[in-house]
Amino acid sequence: MSASASEAQGLLDLAADLVAKARALGADEVSVGVSASSDVQLSRRDGKVEEAKEARTRRVGVRLLVDDRYSSHSTSDLRPEALEAFLARAVEASRYLEPDADRRLPPADDCGRGSAEAHLDHLDPAHAAFTAEDRAAWALAVEQAILALRDDRFISATAYTADGHGLHAQATSHGFADTTESAWYGAGGMLTLRDEGDRRPEGFSWFGARYRTDLPTVEAIAAEADRRAREAIGAAPAPSGTYPMILANHAAGRILGLLSGPLGGYALHHGRSCLADKLDAAIASEALTLRDDPTIPRGLASTPWDGDLRRAVPRTIVERGVLRSFYIDQFHARRLGRAPTTGGRTNWVVEPGSEPWEAVAKRFPKAILVTGFLGGNANGTTGDFSYGIRGQLLEHGEPVQPLAEMNVSGNLLTLFPKLLAVGTDVWTHSPVRSPTLVFDDVSFSGT
Amino acid sequence: MNASPPATSPEGVFAFFAALGADEDLFTAALQAATAWGADHAELYFQHSASTSLGLSDRKVNRAHTSVDLGVGVRVVVGDQVGYAYTEDLSREAVLAAARVASQIARGVGRPAVVEVPRVSGHPSFYPIDRLWTDVDLAERMPLVRAWEEGAFAADARVRNVQVDLGDGESRVLIARADGVRVADFRPMTTAWLSTTVEGESGRETGSYNLAARDGLRFYTPDRQGRMVAQAVQRAVQALDAGSPPAGEMPVVMAAGSSGILLHEAIGHGLEADFNRKDISIFASKMDQTVASAEVTVVDDATIPGSRGALNIDDEGNPTEKTVLVEGGVLRSYLHDSISARHYGVKPTGSGRRQSFRHAPLPRMRATYMEAGPHDPAEIIASTERGIYCEDFANGQVQIGGGDFAFYVRFGYLIENGRLTRPIKDVNLIGNGPKVLAAIDMVGNDLKIDEGGWTCGKDGQGVPVSQGMPTVRVAKLSVGGGR
Repeated sequence: MSASASEAQGLLDLAADLVAKARALGADEVSVGVSASSDVQLSRRDGKVEEAKEARTRRVGVRLLVDDRYSSHSTSDLRPEALEAFLARAVEASRYLEPDADRRLPPADDCGRGSAEAHLDHLDPAHAAFTAEDRAAWALAVEQAILALRDDRFISATAYTADGHGLHAQATSHGFADTTESAWYGAGGMLTLRDEGDRRPEGFSWFGARYRTDLPTVEAIAAEADRRAREAIGAAPAPSGTYPMILANHAAGRILGLLSGPLGGYALHHGRSCLADKLDAAIASEALTLRDDPTIPRGLASTPWDGDLRRAVPRTIVERGVLRSFYIDQFHARRLGRAPTTGGRTNWVVEPGSEPWEAVAKRFPKAILVTGFLGGNANGTTGDFSYGIRGQLLEHGEPVQPLAEMNVSGNLLTLFPKLLAVGTDVWTHSPVRSPTLVFDDVSFSGT
Repeated sequence: MNASPPATSPEGVFAFFAALGADEDLFTAALQAATAWGADHAELYFQHSASTSLGLSDRKVNRAHTSVDLGVGVRVVVGDQVGYAYTEDLSREAVLAAARVASQIARGVGRPAVVEVPRVSGHPSFYPIDRLWTDVDLAERMPLVRAWEEGAFAADARVRNVQVDLGDGESRVLIARADGVRVADFRPMTTAWLSTTVEGESGRETGSYNLAARDGLRFYTPDRQGRMVAQAVQRAVQALDAGSPPAGEMPVVMAAGSSGILLHEAIGHGLEADFNRKDISIFASKMDQTVASAEVTVVDDATIPGSRGALNIDDEGNPTEKTVLVEGGVLRSYLHDSISARHYGVKPTGSGRRQSFRHAPLPRMRATYMEAGPHDPAEIIASTERGIYCEDFANGQVQIGGGDFAFYVRFGYLIENGRLTRPIKDVNLIGNGPKVLAAIDMVGNDLKIDEGGWTCGKDGQGVPVSQGMPTVRVAKLSVGGGR
């Protein structure tokens, strides 16, 4: 047995022990998660390490049903005597509550693995051999790649690298017992440049991956931060009005994410969803097909089971514009009297189109390319949204003016039907895997 | 034998950690390990926090959550370089191991350090509480939560759904530094949130109101409870008839209270000294220059009794204060932690804060507000021909270098010919910090510190803050309307 396999077994034994103890204290249903993780973060600035941080953490989470009374608890104080007292208080606290049988665990038959550990491929075998020297060299390489792009606009740059390892064990009173193990890496840069007056445009890049070899090169990480900072030089607002919106692939998650809240069981149950009556109805143009896939090998949001411990399986959320699935967890499924799907979003995959967005953009005399957001929020009950943006004014696809101090506003019920085209450039460095999206007739406020 | 010290006193906090094995022997040994390669500064940050929340939905108090966090963070500082490690295991071996990890930053660059003789320092008490939250059992909280729910249903026949959360936390902090400082603080917090959904002819809308303070159960006076219930219902009902304002630049009048979000984003973050010593803030090298109109005085204050942003000591163990950032439009101070204070050769402002023992401290805001000005709020509205009036806010954000910032308005009104007319909702406002500060042309005489539970995020760390504002007019901001 490897060191981490025996550690995982130790966590699972602790989880099972806590399940048994909570049962002995009077709990009817118990689910216990125990996690142990470690990570190292390095940042470099001005040619030296700015911060070196190392963390090792362990945590226990407990969900209880005592006479159908539900409570949840967590602690990082794992001294045996402290854990016993914690568990006793947790069971006792539950007794004050009102019963709610809808909180019961899902049927044991529905729980388990949707994907084998080997299929998920979450553990880079090289991570165990990743040393302090490797980390130092990596952070230095990212910093040098950024500094190589220095010119007379340069003010400051910070390079970031991080990696971590996590073990998780889960056990329940209805027989679930399993563990997962994963590693991750991340790297990025932040660059501040000089502009006219006092403005100091900044560019930030960050990439995450399960395998270090899946990350872009240090040169590409540096180039992305540099590009984003340079794009903001001379930024100013354009006139208010409606424009086609070209939403960059790496920024698409914010707008796609508008769907998330209103599709959830919480919003449906509490009457806070503008999509409540839209199942099997068109909510977007035919250009949009959106899948939730927890089984993507090395996917950043891939998972073997969901928050209810149900097997995590792929589902189609939107098929050629038609809404095919809500996100309904076990509790809200019982409340709503419907079948559960899953409560948690995993990897979101937007099916790419057939034409590069640049070709579509050429057809617009004027359009706004949105590359990032600043502030803003949305109302899932009505579908209204309003966000600050950064980006570029395009004329026939050519950038003519960097944009700042502008907002984009609308309603998701009218925005998605105006999705004209989906690009071919799928972004793979975050859980939202989307190409660049092109919407017609979107309201922007500026001057 | 003497009676044990009160749990909320510094002595009580020292005794609490001593019982877990965190005593002077451990402090000295760990600080020696942390400074083995030298250091300009080293500290241990012990923390124990316990929190409880109680939730009501579907007319039942049917959900409780408790959480316990215990650990120690070790920080070693050499110049502006930081080594940091933490452990949740307070055993001698684990704490010394964390100290050795943190010490590595000084390898080859550190200057010999001496661990000074310990001296315990006291501090003022801005948030005394008469009764610990851990002594208030759930049975005593249930009637409060119930009463708020019943009040909301009774307030308006259109209320369809009510949700309530009542939370509290108690954090014990002990800081032991290589320069000998030993200081401890007991930090209570309570938060309440009431959310309603109403159904009208035009559809459904939601509204919510929240309260927060470093206080105990007594914070929930009948007056406050009544205001929370009334506001949570009124906000939802008002939104039923609200629309979108026009898009574009226009005068914006900010109501007294939570409008402080404008200061937090437009200037507060930009004055955090870490951004300035790195020369990446738009306010870098602006000290003693005019950065706002003459009516504008901005302070960041850790000393407002019982407020969510109050702090007896900061998370580096430094004394806190009321810091004047902008006085009559002139920039007077940044918000300093000990690293930036050394860089600038000034005293720290007690602004070094962290989310928990898992994080190194950074310069952060506490309670940020604008001092009152000369104008009657009614006069400010009456003198505005066309614009919007903003009353209720959600989140905000800023780009430190460019100075562009945004904040989200949940509810407000159009101003037409000097009068509040149509209600508006869900609109993002965006502007540039220095430009907006210069464009503040009227400041009201009605300063109000908001009683809500704001949390400020920076570098992945959330800390509780307060904010406040008198009624203020900004001559021009970009309004994300036009839906």
